[in-house]
Amino acid sequence: MADQPTAFERFTQGILPENPVYRQLLGLCPVLAVTNSVQGAMTMAGAVLFVLLCANVIISLIRDLLKPHLRIVIFTLTIATFVTIVDRFLAAYMYQMSKNLGPYIPLIIVNCIIICRCEVCASKQSVFTAASDAVGQSLGFALALASIASVREILGTGMFFGFRVLPEMWPDWVIMVLPPGAFLTFGLLLGAVNWVAARKKG
Amino acid sequence: MTTTTQETPGSGKNRWTNFFIVQAWLVLLLASFFGAALAGIQLTLAPKIEANKLNETLEKVPELILGADAARASKDSGQQMEINRQYMTAGTKTYSVFKAEKDNQTAGWVVKASGQGYADKIELLVGVDETVNTITGLFVLDQKETPGLGNKIMEPDWRRQFVSKPTHLLLTAVKTKADGPGEISAITGATISSKAVCDIVNQSLNNLRQPLAKAASDKKKPSEKQQEKN
Amino acid sequence: MSETTSEKQSANDATRDVPVIQVGHSPHIANVSFTSRRMMIDVLIALLPVAAMSIYIFQLYAVKQMAICLAACLLTEAVFVKMRNHSFSLTDCSAAVTAVILGLSLPATAPWYVGVIASVVAIGIGKVIFGGIGMNLFNPAMVGRAFVMIAFAGVMAASGYESMHTGIDAITQATPLNAFKQMGISTSLKDLFFGFTNGSLGETSALACLIGGAYLCIRRTASWEIPAGLIAVVLIMGGLADIMGNASDWTVIHHLFSGSLLFGAFFIATDPVSSPITAKGKFIFGAGIGFFIMILRFFSGYPEGVMFAVLLMNAVTPLINRWTIPKVMGE
Repeated sequence: MADQPTAFERFTQGILPENPVYRQLLGLCPVLAVTNSVQGAMTMAGAVLFVLLCANVIISLIRDLLKPHLRIVIFTLTIATFVTIVDRFLAAYMYQMSKNLGPYIPLIIVNCIIICRCEVCASKQSVFTAASDAVGQSLGFALALASIASVREILGTGMFFGFRVLPEMWPDWVIMVLPPGAFLTFGLLLGAVNWVAARKKG
Repeated sequence: MTTTTQETPGSGKNRWTNFFIVQAWLVLLLASFFGAALAGIQLTLAPKIEANKLNETLEKVPELILGADAARASKDSGQQMEINRQYMTAGTKTYSVFKAEKDNQTAGWVVKASGQGYADKIELLVGVDETVNTITGLFVLDQKETPGLGNKIMEPDWRRQFVSKPTHLLLTAVKTKADGPGEISAITGATISSKAVCDIVNQSLNNLRQPLAKAASDKKKPSEKQQEKN
Repeated sequence: MSETTSEKQSANDATRDVPVIQVGHSPHIANVSFTSRRMMIDVLIALLPVAAMSIYIFQLYAVKQMAICLAACLLTEAVFVKMRNHSFSLTDCSAAVTAVILGLSLPATAPWYVGVIASVVAIGIGKVIFGGIGMNLFNPAMVGRAFVMIAFAGVMAASGYESMHTGIDAITQATPLNAFKQMGISTSLKDLFFGFTNGSLGETSALACLIGGAYLCIRRTASWEIPAGLIAVVLIMGGLADIMGNASDWTVIHHLFSGSLLFGAFFIATDPVSSPITAKGKFIFGAGIGFFIMILRFFSGYPEGVMFAVLLMNAVTPLINRWTIPKVMGE
């Protein structure tokens, strides 16, 4: 266990060096689906933070009781519970947002970032480490969502976070708020991130 | 085969620990615990979610009947509209109809109507005055039309064309500037969506004009229609 | 240690002895005079009648649109190529061909930024990201057009048409396919054939497309199999629709002459990079495009389907290549 990263390392790694979206390419379904507005993307990131934090803490608490062949069942059970809680809360207190996000909140259940963190970190390390790992990874996820959503919302609607930032005469690039815009923006940003990473290395 | 049975002797303890229910004790425990938690959350939040769903429609009713400015003024002055939902069957369709009453007088009706658009179903709220003679408002509840073209049916400027159109005329979407009494100028490049909205309005009003007018005229009598409270 | 070095040495000798076949990326040159540059210049010559016709019909609009696309495409190509440290490749004229085809596929009244964005997307995303000329999967001009078609559907759908008789009287008129799809109005065959209708710059005149296309096919710059397959399938499917009835005013000939069908068949589908390499493959490719055009025209919301049909078939080009490449005897 000596070679396991510390809580602080877990936290910082999640944000940039092991960014779940740009470096691990995990959880791409919400990355592509809900990034047409920054508000939606941030709600999604908040939901993922809650689910990941709760799941990591619970799994870490019971990590000594886990049996290898039953651990996935327990992960899924825990994740599904917290996703349902988030989904109901959004429907009750942020009804319009919950309608906009549609099926993508329930789909957090199958978001591989969460099950990956349960497996890699929470089922092996202490509660505090697991929690800081969850926060770090969620921040990384939020950062990625925010970057893609900013590009798409600004180009696609001339607005940022619901406020107009480009002049009225800006011709909205409708393609940016549609699915093809998600693929294009993500691909180009991913290329840019890799380009920067490669330059840093060499 | 024989070797396997020899390797796992039928001693009581092993059989007990290999039993699948016992293996899964943690799963079962967590499942019942989580299940209880979710049931609690569902019980607390379900009424609120239901109310949200209904409010989404109800909130629009004053605006659709009085117009946006008057609705805001009446809300600011603390006047409340009483809104009742009822179901009306006309033709082959059953409509949700919201009856708005102000000071015990019918102020108007809002009809929830839906029909096929260009891409998918379009759901509309159509407001009419109490005598069902003119349209007082139109709102698009749900649509999946092409962004940039068809989804312009949601824009207030386009929807405003429907206000104060007579209900006895069939509305038509025209590509040129709308001049006639029953003409709506279609959205450039989205004639089909524009037509679809007109058709939905036409069909629902055609079906409901007489029943609604009748209901409005004999309002002194206790309503014969089935009135539901939700 | 020494043993391994000598082994390496011998391996090197072996490779030196064996004749190495260098296989570059397409377009492949079968004949020394048959360079990409010559092909591209041929395409430009073939586009002349189309461009001339569009300038005759749309006048300054057409000149402006093509000039914008040309400038934006060449500039983008220069910038991207420089960024990738490749040798300067403007001289092969492929960017110019993309620019002219792109310009001719835009409507006359599309604002300037549509041409610019379409050009940047066409060259940048459609071509350079894949590795430059010869490496692109999709026809660059169509990638750019698809982008602006979805991004600015409003300005791409409604376009103005300057009536040539009145000169200044710009009226908005639906394109023939749009007019038919939405209002059931048919356009006369004569207008469709000569091109006195509204539409994208290069697509209105069937005659100009036929002249340019014939030149390309005779020069062997374009393979005749692609337009042949395409037109054959359109004739069959349109003919079947005619026979099946609904006594529509829009006959198979209308289908053939309207929209960007002929322009697409001769200039877009025949792009040597994104189409298959065998003759049989080319025929299948053209037939597939024709099939998708008719499916899109009959059943989709868009009145025209050439662009999407070409892009769809571009995507299956590698598969067609794999099916149709002749097998080595005995295998």
